[in-house]
Amino acid sequence: MTHFNLNEDQQDCLQELINVAMGQASDQLARYLDTFVYLKVPSIEQVSSSQISDTLKVEESAAAVVSQGFFGYEGIRGEALLVYQPKDSDRLADLLGYEPDELSVEEQIIDLSSILTTTFLNVFASQIDNQMSYSAPRFLSSAASNFSDHIEQHTFNWDLALKVKITYQVTDYSFNCDMILLIPESAIVNITQVIDRILEEF
Amino acid sequence: MKDSTFCHTIAERINTGVLVLDIEYNIVEFNRFMQVHAHKKQEDVVGKSVFEVFPELPRRWFERKLASVIQLNSPSFCSWEQRHHLFELPHTRPITTDSKYMAQNCTFMPIVGEQGISHVCILIEDATDVAHYQGKLNHVLDELARANRIDGLTQVFNRKHWEECLDKEFSRARRYGHNVALIMFDLDHFKKLNDTYGHQGGDKVLVDTAARIKSLLRLCDQFGRYGGEEFAIILPETDLNGALDVAERIRSSIASTVINFQGSAIKVSTSVGVSVIDSSHQRYEDLISSADYALYQAKKLGRNRVANSHDFATDAALC
Amino acid sequence: MSFSVLVCDDSNLARKQVLRSLPESLSADAKIATNGVEALKILRGQSIDVLFLDLTMPEIDGLGVLQGIQKLGLSPKIFVISADIQPEMQNKVLELGAKAFIRKPVKAEVLNQHLQEHGLI
Repeated sequence: MTHFNLNEDQQDCLQELINVAMGQASDQLARYLDTFVYLKVPSIEQVSSSQISDTLKVEESAAAVVSQGFFGYEGIRGEALLVYQPKDSDRLADLLGYEPDELSVEEQIIDLSSILTTTFLNVFASQIDNQMSYSAPRFLSSAASNFSDHIEQHTFNWDLALKVKITYQVTDYSFNCDMILLIPESAIVNITQVIDRILEEF
Repeated sequence: MKDSTFCHTIAERINTGVLVLDIEYNIVEFNRFMQVHAHKKQEDVVGKSVFEVFPELPRRWFERKLASVIQLNSPSFCSWEQRHHLFELPHTRPITTDSKYMAQNCTFMPIVGEQGISHVCILIEDATDVAHYQGKLNHVLDELARANRIDGLTQVFNRKHWEECLDKEFSRARRYGHNVALIMFDLDHFKKLNDTYGHQGGDKVLVDTAARIKSLLRLCDQFGRYGGEEFAIILPETDLNGALDVAERIRSSIASTVINFQGSAIKVSTSVGVSVIDSSHQRYEDLISSADYALYQAKKLGRNRVANSHDFATDAALC
Repeated sequence: MSFSVLVCDDSNLARKQVLRSLPESLSADAKIATNGVEALKILRGQSIDVLFLDLTMPEIDGLGVLQGIQKLGLSPKIFVISADIQPEMQNKVLELGAKAFIRKPVKAEVLNQHLQEHGLI
């Protein structure tokens, strides 16, 4: 098992890249959804595959978890998890600008997830001269089937991952959603190289 | 140039629908897959509005979807799991599946021209097979889940599931200060009945009794087979008087019914124990003990009767 | 004439980006804060003429610093440099007394144009 411990400068640089991506993505979202998105400092930590179910257990009360894969050049890839709390799903149709009877709650959640993931990662990728492709978003669980059960049944094909957690708060709708990016270590090595390139310029 | 003909050939032959729209929703590209499945010629649709060619499209939804692709310069998706199909296209398994139209996974992709986004490309994949097998799988899973909850003989909840229900109902009642009552009843002299009529006779009595009692209960009441000839019922939001009323109806219904088995008329009676949640019940098992104790008292007092644990509160404490 | 300068950002990289974009006259003796609490402490302790301020920060965020400055009755020239470029946020910081909103990642020519406008270079 290799370690990809980011040093302080690398972590700082990644954090700033994420900040800028988050800011621009929120701006696009705010314009598209016609509302204001409140931004918090994202958290970045390294997790092992054995820890992952514990780390995500906090999300146990989640009403829905949506997963969307992403992949770009230079071996940068990962999985984005969008975690919704039960109370938040009520006013989604309103937020997305649909009539409630035009689409199911599940479709609303899928739609919003895709928007959150792709806007953020598009900007993130462009900052590091990359370009992302995405797989279709899928439900991992709903209230009916427990999310941590799902994770525990999983055998992971990686040992370590970088976990980036971003909280979106849409003030007008008192709506919250956590976006958790899990980036496997093989992809982290590639991101680290990109970060080092940026740091060299300073 | 050679390259673009190459790509064009692939787009034509690929087993996926390729539909390209300009930002006014007019059709620009319509590959062979689309021509064949929609049964429309390329020259008849190019330049026309997609809403004219496919009037079945949910227009407002579709426009909003495309707006997100164009405004956010991001792909968007539409899975058969949330929306079975967008375009009413026939599929290749009309005989062996039950869906009328092709189940679809659609991908909406922005195409950037010289002046920003000029087109949206929609890829349409046939997901009929997946949808069909997923449907079958879900059906089997539902069946399995049901089998896991139901007692095979009497078709009421099995003990494991019934106890899970009680656990939930009990916690809810304690948390919100609601009432919950428990009825446990046991057919009198069941062993003798089995000896006289054989196990098939005994089984017939259990099946008929369960069906009869089920018809006396509300939808929210949870009825289970606790073991052998013992049954148990959770009555949410019910006080002692309400529960005693139900218990008496159960007793008299069973006592007044004759069960026919291979020409013999079988008469049975039941002893019923009732208990209502109170502060002495810390766990749901305590409530079971109370009802079970009342049932024991009903037996001791001569069977074919109802007893409630609250009449024997002091006795119970002494035990 | 020389100005006392404070750069407040939780990111080391972002602070370096700002300092590198500033003319020598402003960057040479610039002070540094890594969050809103530190910034307010410095602002209370000494006179600061120019503040370059990030918004999304732990402890007290940029909006909190702007409000703190108003409460303290201080009047440094404030340039908000942030990734949070939503129009509503830009308006909010200008209302709270910032001279300009500059988007991240900061570009030297944009920053200098703003400095010129406010007679700082």
